[in-house]
Amino acid sequence: MTSRGPMGNDRMGKVCVILAVLSARATAFALRLLGRRATSMPGLVALRLCPGLLGHLLRQLDAFVVVTGTNGKTTTVALLHAILDGQDQPWIFNDGGANLTQGLVSALLPYTAVSGALRHRRALLEVDEATLPGIVRLRAPTLLVVTNVLRDQLDRYGEVDHALACLRAGVRDASTTLVANADDPLCASLGLGRDLTYYFGIADAPQDGVARSEARDGAFCLQCGAELEYTRFVFAQMGDYRCPAGHFARPERHVAGSLPASDAGRLGVSERLSGSRPVDRFDLPLTVAGLYNVYNLLAAVTAARVLGYSPARIERGLGFYRAPTGRMQTVCETPRVVLSLIKNPAGATAVLRAIEADAVDKTVCFVINDADADGRDVSWLWDIDLESFVPRAKCAVWWCAGTRGPDMALRLAYAGVERSAITVVAQLDLVPGHVMHSGEPVYVLSTYTALHALSDMFAVQRGRAV
Amino acid sequence: MKPLRIIHLFPELLNLYADQGNIAVLRDRALRRGWPVDVRQVRLGETLDLAGVDIILLGGGSDREQEVVARALPMYRPDLAHAADAGLPILAVCGGYQLLGEYYELASGERITGLRLVDVATRAGGTRLIGNVAVERLTPSGQGTGETVVGFENHVGRTHHEYPAFGRVLRGHGNNGEDGLEGLCHKGIVATYIHGPLLPKNPHVADQLLRTALRRRGLDRPLAPLDDTFEWAAHKSVLQMLGLSDGGSVRERLVRS
Ligand SMILES: [Zn+2]
Repeated sequence: MTSRGPMGNDRMGKVCVILAVLSARATAFALRLLGRRATSMPGLVALRLCPGLLGHLLRQLDAFVVVTGTNGKTTTVALLHAILDGQDQPWIFNDGGANLTQGLVSALLPYTAVSGALRHRRALLEVDEATLPGIVRLRAPTLLVVTNVLRDQLDRYGEVDHALACLRAGVRDASTTLVANADDPLCASLGLGRDLTYYFGIADAPQDGVARSEARDGAFCLQCGAELEYTRFVFAQMGDYRCPAGHFARPERHVAGSLPASDAGRLGVSERLSGSRPVDRFDLPLTVAGLYNVYNLLAAVTAARVLGYSPARIERGLGFYRAPTGRMQTVCETPRVVLSLIKNPAGATAVLRAIEADAVDKTVCFVINDADADGRDVSWLWDIDLESFVPRAKCAVWWCAGTRGPDMALRLAYAGVERSAITVVAQLDLVPGHVMHSGEPVYVLSTYTALHALSDMFAVQRGRAV
Repeated sequence: MKPLRIIHLFPELLNLYADQGNIAVLRDRALRRGWPVDVRQVRLGETLDLAGVDIILLGGGSDREQEVVARALPMYRPDLAHAADAGLPILAVCGGYQLLGEYYELASGERITGLRLVDVATRAGGTRLIGNVAVERLTPSGQGTGETVVGFENHVGRTHHEYPAFGRVLRGHGNNGEDGLEGLCHKGIVATYIHGPLLPKNPHVADQLLRTALRRRGLDRPLAPLDDTFEWAAHKSVLQMLGLSDGGSVRERLVRS
């Protein structure tokens, strides 16, 4: 970014903003005429014409809430938006996970007057970790939520260390309130030596007693390199941990969740936002499926509490929550088809746990692409804990598709699936017909670039079935 | 038959590119031929007993993890150097390849000393060499074999050495992005930047390691063929993605050129 404002406050700057807003509107209109989703393109056009536009817009906000982290950003934003919105003032947010610079501009543009003035002054934005440092330079968030720090798309960002460096840059401004995951050592380390930090975590979760081999990315002390000692694992590197030399341990949770023993139960929450206050207890409906989503729910609840929303208002807001596209989204009812995004080992393993908990006979399909947005390196497929999933999956027929369908088929064979039970589908549009044929419930796990196409295709199938 | 003993070195640190996939392939291909397998993980700081060991695997980690490993390498060097000299099969991938050598020079000029099993130097370059990769395997004298190896590479280090290369780059960057060579073969050592992981889609490389291991036990016989339909389908899909239609036609083109 070269200029601070659009171009200072001069005439040229104003002309630049007006041109950018008008062009972006025309682009969004044209995309709608073509029946395409307008997630990033209008923002891209606007930024080409006026590189300073995003800073100009962000600096007008009174409340600027950012959600970042490796997994769960989109679900957390959807949960938090359900809680915050529909109250006294509306919140701008980016649904659909367009979380790079052009996607953020696209989210703000519908609320931007031609003059460049924002009509609403509160925004809740999902921001990609790598984009975060650039955004924070334009405008420090009032509240920053970090869901977790896991291994993701190695080829895009190098390594976990790079993601962590981006997040550290994101929390540097002392005026930003940080909401972070206490159970994730990498995420929790962001709050070291920092005021205005609130931690969430899971205090009690039923254990299934199965020894799992999972990728544990943050399981080392950042100061001395010693392996962290865990007294309890929730999943991936989440749990109760401490450095054996005493440098670092799981911080106290300001908001702690307790999972109910039965599916019908509610999430118990115990809260202590400041040391001088007594512990408050309340419970909330468990509006999400899967243990990993409980962390997202706790992240959203903690952020809402810090923003001053009461438990009663949070409960009312959660009633408006709908799962975003491909986040354990039911895309068809008969047969039931559930679509879920997978993009890294910890996230995919967590999704498999949730699928395994549905103890019916089922069909499972993996759609693996390797475009930039999916991660071009598919070695992450070998870090998914399929070995513990396959014997518990209650699945007799397995399907693979996408540009890396053959890689996934091979991965399944090594995880213990009979080779004769695996079929690779060469064309994406043939997937719904194949997987729905038996009438069993279907779980489709897909990487990012096939997700929306699959969602649309299953919607068409649903239309036919009625 | 005494179990085939495989050692996975420092898996808790060097596992960046799903290197346990390579172990799974070696184990599976041995088991499918009726040989028992014994995989041992040696964590950093634990003693390494090389008696009766058939294959060693050394994977890659992040820069931070590799520095942690490098600090502890001197205690392992004498035994590993002796074993490498005696021709023990060692598969080293990406960061593991760099750690086998003399040193890795960071952008700051600081040098991380390696195991010094081979006379190999790696220096950080300005850009990341990243993407799908395909090479043609070379004989020790540098002749093309017509056999392809496919996978993914992702490294900042530029590696130079005088040993026979693992392959000749058909698509991708290889050792340094300059000389068109990829990896290293010396005695039992197979070192490469190709992950993905390496062995699932390249069953012939896995079998080469198994054959070397058996030969060292005095069992010099061909390996029973396995059903590798899935393996070659995945291999060929990468070749096609890279505009190399399949192994056979690569060979024909190489012969013609
Ligand atoms: Zn420590």
